[in-house]
Amino acid sequence: MILRKAKGIHIDGFKKMSRELPLREYLDPQFVYIPLLQQNSPLKKMVEIGSDVKIGQVVALREGFGAMPIHASISGKVTAFKKVWHSSGKMIEAIEIENDKLNRLDDSILPEINIEILSREQLIQKMRDAGLSGLGGAGFPTYIKYQAKCPIDTIIINAVECEPYLTCDFMLTMKYPEKLLKGLSYFIKAANARNGFIAFKSYNQDIKSALEPLLNKYPNIELCELKDVYPAGWEKYVVEQVTNNTYVKLPSEAGVIVDNSATAICFADMVDNNIPLISRVITITGEGIKHPQNFYVPLGTKVSELIALAGGYVEGLDPKTAWYLAGGPMTGRAILVDELIVNDTLGAVIVKGIPKEAEHPECLGCGKCSDVCPVFLTPTSIKSAFERNDVSLIKNLNADKCMQCGLCSYICPSRIEITDFVAKAKALMAKGA
Amino acid sequence: MARFSGGKAPFLRITDSGEKGTKIIMRDFIIGLLPVVLFAWYKNGIMVYIDGNISFMEMLYPLIFIILGGFLSVLFEAIFFYITDKSARNVKGIGNKLKLSYGAIPGLLLAMFLPLYTPIWVLMFGCFMATIVGKMLFGGFGHNIFNPAIIGRVAIMFTLLGVINNAGGFMNASEVLVDSYAGATPLTLFSISKTIDYNVIVAPYGNLWNFFIGTIPGSLGETSFLVIMISYLWLSIRKVINWSTPLIYVVTVFILSWIIGMVNGEAGIWFPVYSILSGGLAFGAVFMATEPVTTPRNPLGKVYFALFIGALTVLFRFIGVYPEGVATSIIVMNIFTMPLDNVTAAIRSTGIKKKTIGKFAFLTILLLLIMVYAVIKSMNLYSLSIFFVGGLF
Repeated sequence: MILRKAKGIHIDGFKKMSRELPLREYLDPQFVYIPLLQQNSPLKKMVEIGSDVKIGQVVALREGFGAMPIHASISGKVTAFKKVWHSSGKMIEAIEIENDKLNRLDDSILPEINIEILSREQLIQKMRDAGLSGLGGAGFPTYIKYQAKCPIDTIIINAVECEPYLTCDFMLTMKYPEKLLKGLSYFIKAANARNGFIAFKSYNQDIKSALEPLLNKYPNIELCELKDVYPAGWEKYVVEQVTNNTYVKLPSEAGVIVDNSATAICFADMVDNNIPLISRVITITGEGIKHPQNFYVPLGTKVSELIALAGGYVEGLDPKTAWYLAGGPMTGRAILVDELIVNDTLGAVIVKGIPKEAEHPECLGCGKCSDVCPVFLTPTSIKSAFERNDVSLIKNLNADKCMQCGLCSYICPSRIEITDFVAKAKALMAKGA
Repeated sequence: MARFSGGKAPFLRITDSGEKGTKIIMRDFIIGLLPVVLFAWYKNGIMVYIDGNISFMEMLYPLIFIILGGFLSVLFEAIFFYITDKSARNVKGIGNKLKLSYGAIPGLLLAMFLPLYTPIWVLMFGCFMATIVGKMLFGGFGHNIFNPAIIGRVAIMFTLLGVINNAGGFMNASEVLVDSYAGATPLTLFSISKTIDYNVIVAPYGNLWNFFIGTIPGSLGETSFLVIMISYLWLSIRKVINWSTPLIYVVTVFILSWIIGMVNGEAGIWFPVYSILSGGLAFGAVFMATEPVTTPRNPLGKVYFALFIGALTVLFRFIGVYPEGVATSIIVMNIFTMPLDNVTAAIRSTGIKKKTIGKFAFLTILLLLIMVYAVIKSMNLYSLSIFFVGGLF
C-alpha cells in the first residue's frame, strides 16, 4: 500500500537558553568514573586498583553482542571501583580514575598517514577498536550497523535533535562543520554507499549556512531540511522523510544507515588521529541552572562539577528537590541526585524544580493522544486492553509500533501517564507472544 | 538514599502552563454553549416580551430554565456522592469530587434540548435520569457509555411527551398565536405525514431562511442553525471538539436526504437543506455527537461514528414513530463506541492491508446497507414498484 509517513507535532523547544553561551571545554576533572555498563550489557574491567592509565588506554571490554573496548578518558591512576549514579537511573559500578593532569596519550593515538588507502574493513575495524557507539542516546555500537548484510545505499546523518532543551549536537556541529562532512564521507566509504544526507530541523538554519559553503568538496553529500516537529529526530521519521522509503525493524532494510552528527564528528577524529571515544558534548540546561550551556568533557565527568561551572543553581531552587532529567525531557529519565556521571549516551542534563502534584481528572476520551501519535496508534484503546490483560487485542492494535516518544502523555489534558501504559502493554505483548 | 518519586517521562506536559487542561476544555465548552443559550433566551423570552405576550418575569424564564437544568444535575451529583462515598460527607469532600466531575454540563445540554414549557418536575426527572442513571451509575465522569443528556432527553420523550404537550409544548407564547404552525414542529409534521412535500413541511413556517435563523418552533437550543454554527466555530478553533465529526454528520444527512428526495421524485435541493436545518440535527451534531467520553477516540473511529449516526438519523426519521432521529441514533451508536473504536484503531494503525481489509469492508458494507435500507423505507410501495420496474425496462 501507499507509504503512510510517520508524522509529528510542533512542541516548544526551550533550546534558546543553552545556545547563548559558546561551547566550553572542560578537560581536566579531578576524577572520572567509567561505568561498567553499556546498553544493559555489563563490561569486563581490564585494570586493577593502582594501575596507571593513559588517555585512550583500554580499561574495560564489552563482550558478547557488540563486543568492543572502552577507553580511559584521562591519564592517571585507578583509585577505586565505586558505585555511581548512571543515566539509566540505577547505581552502577564504575572505575574511578584520578587525574594526574599530565595528559599522557596512549601509544595508539597517532595521526593516520594513509587515510586514502584505508579499506572498508579497516574502517569498520577502527570503529570497533575505538569503541564507537551512537552518541544520540541509544548507544548502539556503530560497527554493527556497518557489518549489515543488506546493501547500503545511503548514509543519513541525524542532526535533527528534536528533544526540547538539547543543543549539544547543534553546538558541536557548529564548531566542527568540516569534521562532520569528513566523518560522513568516511561513513559512506565504510558502508560502500553511494550518497549521504545530513538531516536537520528547519529551526536550525544555522546548520545549513555553516555546512553549505563546504559542500562543494563532497559531491555526494546533500542537506535535507525537516519540519520543526517532534519526533523529527526519530530514526524512522528521518528515513521516511529523506528517502521516501520505510522499514520494519532496522533502517538497513531500506538500504540506509542513520548516524548521529556527534558520532560522525567523533569518527572523523578516529580515522584521522586514531582517537577513541573518550569525550562528548553535554548540555547542562533547564530552568534551575543559572547559565545554561554546553560542555565538551571527557566521559566520566561528574555532572555536579559541570553544574557548578555553569553558575550553579538559580536562587530559590533546592538541589535536593529537583529533577535532573538525563537525556531529555520527552524520553529521558528523572534522576533525583546531581551525582550523575557523563556517559556516552548522556546528551543533556536538565535541571528543573519538581512540579506540584497536579489534578488528575478522568480520561475524558478527547482522543488527542490518538491525533498526535506519530505511528497512528490509539493509546486509549491500548490502555483499556492492557487493563483487561487482552494480549490479542493489544497485538491487533499494534502496540509494538510504539517507540515511546511521549507525545500522548505530553498532549493529555488530564495528565494521564498514557505513554507508560502503552509501554507496559508493549512489554506484555512481547511476553505473551 | 535512592529517591524514586521521579515521575514518568515525558517531563514536559502541555498542561504545565495551565492553559490546556481538562478544566479549560470544559470551560471553553460552556463558553461555546453561551451563544445558543442567549439565542434561546432571545427567541423565547425577549422577543415574546417585545411582542407583549408575556410579562417581564416570564421573559427571564427560558434563561432560568436552562440554568436550573445545570443546577439540578450538579445537585443530583452531590447527593449521589454524599450517599455513595463516605469521604465526601463534608463540604470540602463534595467540592473536590464535583470539581473533577463537571456535573453541570449534562443538565445544561438537557435543558437546551427540551421544549420551553416543560414542567419543572419533568426537567427534574430528566436531570435525574441523565446524571444518576446516565452518568453516575456507570462510574461517573469518563466512564459513562451513553451521552447523559441524551439519556435524559430520551427518557422524557419516550414517557412524558404528552405531559409536555399538555403544558404548552414546543410553542412559546408568540408562536401559539401563529395559525399556520398548528401546534407542531416541522419534524412532527413530517413524522405524521412522512411525505416530502414543501407545502406540508416547510410552507407553514415561512421559508427555509427561518429554519436557518431559528425562528421556528422547537426545543430551546436546537432551532438556530446559524447560532450553532458560531458555537461550532468557537469549539473547533479552541480544539474542544473534533471539527470533522459534525461536518461529516451533517453532510451525510444532507447527501442521503438528497438521494431520498430524488428517488421520491423531489429533486429540489430544499429537502436536504430542510433535513439538516430541522430538528436537533445541528445541535446534536455539535454538542452531542462530539461528546468525547461516549464517542470513539481515534480519528478514523470518529469518521465512522459520524457516518453511522448520519445514516441512522435519516433512517429513524423515516421509520420512527417519534419525530426526532438525532438523539436515538446517537444513543444507538454510543453502544457501539468501544468495539468501533477498537476496530478502527486496528485499521488505522495497520493501514488497509490484508489483516484489516475484512474489518474495513465489514464496516463500510454495514454502513451502505443502512443507507440503502433508509432509501427503500422512504419510498412508498407504489413508487418502489415504479423504481424497480422502471429500472428493469
